[in-house]
Amino acid sequence: MPFKLAIDGKPHSLTILARRPQLVVAVDGRRHVVETVDAAGDGRRALTIDGAETGFVRAETVEGALLRIDGRTIEVRRLDAATEASAAGSGAHLVRAPMPGIVISIHKTAGDSVRRGETVITIESMKLQMKLDAPRDGEIAEIGIREGEGFEKDAVLARLAAPASEG
Amino acid sequence: MTPSPAGAARPVPFRKILIANRGEIACRIIRTLREMGIASVSIHHAVEARARHVREADEAVEIAGETPVAAHLDIARIIEAARRTGADAIHPGYGFLSENARFARAVTEAGLVFIGPDADAIALMGDKISARQFAEEHGVPVAPSVMPTEDLPDFLKRAAGIGFPLLIKAAAGGGGKGMSIVRSAAELEGAARLASSEAQRYFGDGRVYAELFVERPRHIEVQVLGDGKGGAIHLFERECSVQRRFQKIIEEAPAANLSPALRDEICASAARLAAAAGYRNAGTVEYILGADGRFFFLEMNTRLQVEHPVTEMITGLDLVRLQIEIAAGHGLPMHQDEVTAHGHAIECRICAEDPARDFLPETGTVLHLDVPRAPHLRFENALDRGQRVTADFDPMLAKLVAHGPDRASATQRSIEALRELALLGVKTNVDYLARVLEHPAFAAGELHTGFVAEHRNALAAPELDRQTADRALIAAALGMREFHSLVFDVPEPHASIGPWRN
Repeated sequence: MPFKLAIDGKPHSLTILARRPQLVVAVDGRRHVVETVDAAGDGRRALTIDGAETGFVRAETVEGALLRIDGRTIEVRRLDAATEASAAGSGAHLVRAPMPGIVISIHKTAGDSVRRGETVITIESMKLQMKLDAPRDGEIAEIGIREGEGFEKDAVLARLAAPASEG
Repeated sequence: MTPSPAGAARPVPFRKILIANRGEIACRIIRTLREMGIASVSIHHAVEARARHVREADEAVEIAGETPVAAHLDIARIIEAARRTGADAIHPGYGFLSENARFARAVTEAGLVFIGPDADAIALMGDKISARQFAEEHGVPVAPSVMPTEDLPDFLKRAAGIGFPLLIKAAAGGGGKGMSIVRSAAELEGAARLASSEAQRYFGDGRVYAELFVERPRHIEVQVLGDGKGGAIHLFERECSVQRRFQKIIEEAPAANLSPALRDEICASAARLAAAAGYRNAGTVEYILGADGRFFFLEMNTRLQVEHPVTEMITGLDLVRLQIEIAAGHGLPMHQDEVTAHGHAIECRICAEDPARDFLPETGTVLHLDVPRAPHLRFENALDRGQRVTADFDPMLAKLVAHGPDRASATQRSIEALRELALLGVKTNVDYLARVLEHPAFAAGELHTGFVAEHRNALAAPELDRQTADRALIAAALGMREFHSLVFDVPEPHASIGPWRN
């Protein structure tokens, strides 16, 4: 069964083709020979991939890992069956804060039905007001914040109920 | 840190200094205090009780405040903290209270030494109009302008006298209404009439104002030192033209492509201004420089500047030490002709922000910090692993300063250090800064304050190539328990021949 990861929302699948004598991994069908595989754990590490030594720095996150590799920082997220289903399905269930700020007004309460693009919450951030819209048609399951409250970037401010079809 | 040249350290009467600041600059000041054998006192709000500037100081005092920033602006409580800890002097750093004349006065009135200019000098330079007037009176060029008037013929005569291009604005203006750029005398009258009638229509005030429009302006500033008795020297210029959201992100010393004659003229005017003001302390005179070589006074900052390390790296001086020595009454460390510069230095401001989203601030947690080290590098920061980066303070996290024998090598060393630097857990502009330094226009020294906007497309993050993506995915996967066990947990039929490794 392939192992699924995503970079910038783009899914990739890793399949182990061989474990011995060397680890061979296919990434989206591209074959790579991997040596020095004791590269678990965070921090500065090195792997030999296709004969070339690759140094990198890794930090584990809740969603996956952050990597500093080839002079750039890359965020890799785990794609499990559930998140994949919601990504492929009718869009996210969550209304997330795009940046830190405070809530100016809340336009919906739990149980309200919303149309995609309808404003759920108005926030203020960087002295600018911004409307946060429902990502899809559905029903508000929960509003996770009150007017006047502050939040960090990526905080979940509201959640939509999962559509019945997704079970 | 390089010790002050011009001989041995000069003894100062301070045993303990309170730093009315935080973050990297507080840590940088503590470093010099330690070298000078002076005890340090840090201040902090409750949210930053375990911050590095608190841990590194000999003593720390918590300042209550509704917000963390409010605590750092509380003049009465900060002076009380200095008194209670027995500090002799207060160093304000940059930002916060560093250019607050009331604070400087209150510190002095409390019987303490303010490591900075006297309150009157702060007030003089803090007011844009009075500073501009003072500069003009002392032969420092200011951008020519025609003050608001309704007398159109008089306006036209004086505007034409300034030269072109000219920016014409409604005196009561805003939002670009009644504003235009006039490039020749032939266009002047029509543009002025139009601006005036638009101004009348939109604002009910037909007065128009004109000033010289500087195209592709460069930001050049001069580091000065004044003894407070009319003596002043300069420590050469810095160029800070690469800016975003009107704030500097890359600074360097010396400026690129500046003729020696023009450099001398600009630097001399800054020292003249500081001397005329009877300025005491390190300070910075900022200018705007046009492509035609004309330069105009912008403002004077009466404090240590964020980008002071580039000047330190080319001159070998410690500006914080010099500030303290001057505050102690030692005067200037050397004569103007003894100040020398070696090589080139570049500072990159590392900020928690997303260059792809118009440089909006980011928050997060520092999960990993791996800093390149070399004799030619300075990484000024107060970061800790596990530290939360919040919107409480400025998004600047650190400064990476690189020195080299010339501009090209300082640029190359900066790029290498940025690539090597690993700051994971909060989105930063590190890779963006490297792309700026790699841009041919930066290498050519074709800088102006619109650089970031002009090269927006070229500076965007390149698409991730497949090879790097694959390597990142493999490196990420091997750190994940699930994948690790897929690789190493040997399936049943193979168990008899032992695990794959060892």
